[in-house]
Amino acid sequence: MGIDVFEIGVNFVKMIAIFLMMVQIVPLLVWVERRGSAYIQNRLGPNRVGPLGLMQLAADAVKFLTKEEFVPKRGYPFLFYAAPVVAMVPAALAFGAIPLSSPVMVEAFEWMGQHWGPYSFKFQGYEIGIGIVFVLGVSSLAAYGVLLAGYGSANKYALYGALRASAQTISYELAMGLSIVGVILLFNSFNFAEIVGAQSAPMNFMLFGKKVELAFLPNWGIFYQPLGAVLLFSAMFAEANRLPFDLPEAEGELVAGYHTEYSGFKFNMFFIGEYGHMLVASALMVTFFFGGYTLWPWLTPETVAKWFTGMSLTQTSLLTALVLHGVFLAKVVLFLWIFIWVRWTLPRFRYDQLMDLGWRTMLPWALFNTILTAVVILIMRHPWGA
Amino acid sequence: MMMEAIAFYMLAGFLIFFSYKVISVPNPLHSALYLVLTMLGLASAFFNLGAQFIAGVQVIVYAGAVMVLFVMVLMLFDLKTEIRSFSRGLISGALKVMSAALIAGLALGGARSSVTVLDAPAGAAVPGDVTRQLGILLYTKYLFAFEILGILLLAVAVGVVAVSRMKGGTHARH
Amino acid sequence: MLDTEALMRIGLGHYIALSGIIFSFGMIAVMMRKNVIVMLMGVELMLNAVNLSFVAFAKEAGNLNGHIMVFFVMTIAAAEAGVGLALAVAIYKKFHEVNIRFFEQLKG
Repeated sequence: MGIDVFEIGVNFVKMIAIFLMMVQIVPLLVWVERRGSAYIQNRLGPNRVGPLGLMQLAADAVKFLTKEEFVPKRGYPFLFYAAPVVAMVPAALAFGAIPLSSPVMVEAFEWMGQHWGPYSFKFQGYEIGIGIVFVLGVSSLAAYGVLLAGYGSANKYALYGALRASAQTISYELAMGLSIVGVILLFNSFNFAEIVGAQSAPMNFMLFGKKVELAFLPNWGIFYQPLGAVLLFSAMFAEANRLPFDLPEAEGELVAGYHTEYSGFKFNMFFIGEYGHMLVASALMVTFFFGGYTLWPWLTPETVAKWFTGMSLTQTSLLTALVLHGVFLAKVVLFLWIFIWVRWTLPRFRYDQLMDLGWRTMLPWALFNTILTAVVILIMRHPWGA
Repeated sequence: MMMEAIAFYMLAGFLIFFSYKVISVPNPLHSALYLVLTMLGLASAFFNLGAQFIAGVQVIVYAGAVMVLFVMVLMLFDLKTEIRSFSRGLISGALKVMSAALIAGLALGGARSSVTVLDAPAGAAVPGDVTRQLGILLYTKYLFAFEILGILLLAVAVGVVAVSRMKGGTHARH
Repeated sequence: MLDTEALMRIGLGHYIALSGIIFSFGMIAVMMRKNVIVMLMGVELMLNAVNLSFVAFAKEAGNLNGHIMVFFVMTIAAAEAGVGLALAVAIYKKFHEVNIRFFEQLKG
């Protein structure tokens, strides 16, 4: 059975929808960030435009679109224009590879006198067998957006910011990659869907060759890999250039870092890139350590599908997918709030502290975590009795 | 088959264009950026050939780490567009281009003859999960080479630190 | 003369040809450019071209030994880039120049 027009069309629409979802979440996050920071600092925040200040988003959008587009004269115009795009695309690509809900089955049907076979659509932009490697690789490309911005704008503050950012990204990528290895070993897969599938079950593991099942806990990665979770989350802060790791745009030292010369819509694209990275980071945390789109024992694909018994397979799977997508989004929103919370709580690192933390603290702990996980898995899965 | 051919020729066109740009643009930073694009194109070629894991590692290692280092160093040096970026000498230059063309011609000739000799249409497919088999192979048959590689990397790391701490640098020991 | 059937049926030969062309570009970069860092990039280009041919051969042969080779080549290339860049930075600190014309003599 080949791929027909219907399948290609649906996949195309799906990709665009997921990209738009990522872009559309940004203004909401900006609003949450401003109101949340105001709440944390005992202020009011933007509350004049519209109910709860929500129309401020529209006002901001208008401001971004109507500002003067400025290109520095002595810079490289092509690189200057390319940088915001390069900053935004990796986040979008990485977000497309993360499963957002259970797959949607479509039964065979007749349409326009033709027979259209049964389909199964993944609830994600595109499925790649080695999803984790893909996401790591793509998000490592985000450094180029910052580098090009720094080089293209012919501004020393931008250049400093870009150099800081690239060094920081390379350093923390190591810790990030190594902290995921524990999860890969644990669930024995590079595939997001398989990892989520393994987590939608009661906690089960091998204890000296015997299978143990604890029915009161879900099989989430956080219970096996707490150190990995902490390391991944901290490294994600550095990858997204968020406080306390926002050295590349430290406004007290570097004006605004790599986006000093940017205005209007190009600046907005950097913004979307940063918030997109936050979104990807939260989605990865949820997928690796908090059960993805499932919540055992109440909300797994099987239990939710039982709510909709009596409907056709198409309707059941679609409604199930939507419910589970809600679960996923709820978890992601929690992590996004933690991102914002941390930003307004912790002060910024000094640059040498940042490098120390990356190389001398997080990397050794991530290595230790990997080795410990490997040894424990080897001992526990060895058939001792037999 | 038609689609496959179109995809291959588009990819090949991109790769040849970008790698030509790497060697021909005068600004070294621009050639580094073209090299990044070449690396990404090669990663998609690997993906086409069924080597997903290698493609992912290509993006992580080359595009994400090695080339970021190159770009960073070039930005630190702050080199302007070079007036004379190619070596001098017409005859020696012609000889160099001819020797490179000879290599390419040999490869092309070998490729042309191999098409007729190896008449496997799509190649024998590797069964099953490529990534898992790669891991098993790496840690069984090639374990010794893998360990040696680890030692080599350790030596290289020590050497790089030693070189960069030589006198005159920001991290010099006095 | 031109056999369209052979051109349209993508096999090992096409990938080897592509690899050969990219390799020769890398070779030209090493021989003809004067900037040390661009020469290093030429080396990277050659290694990548060889990787492409390894993966193509692995697909043709139906086993994974080629992939393992690529894995090793990548690791060593990363190490080589690190050493090369460290040396380039050391040279730049001494001469304030990365053009090979300026450090022809070995005397420091």
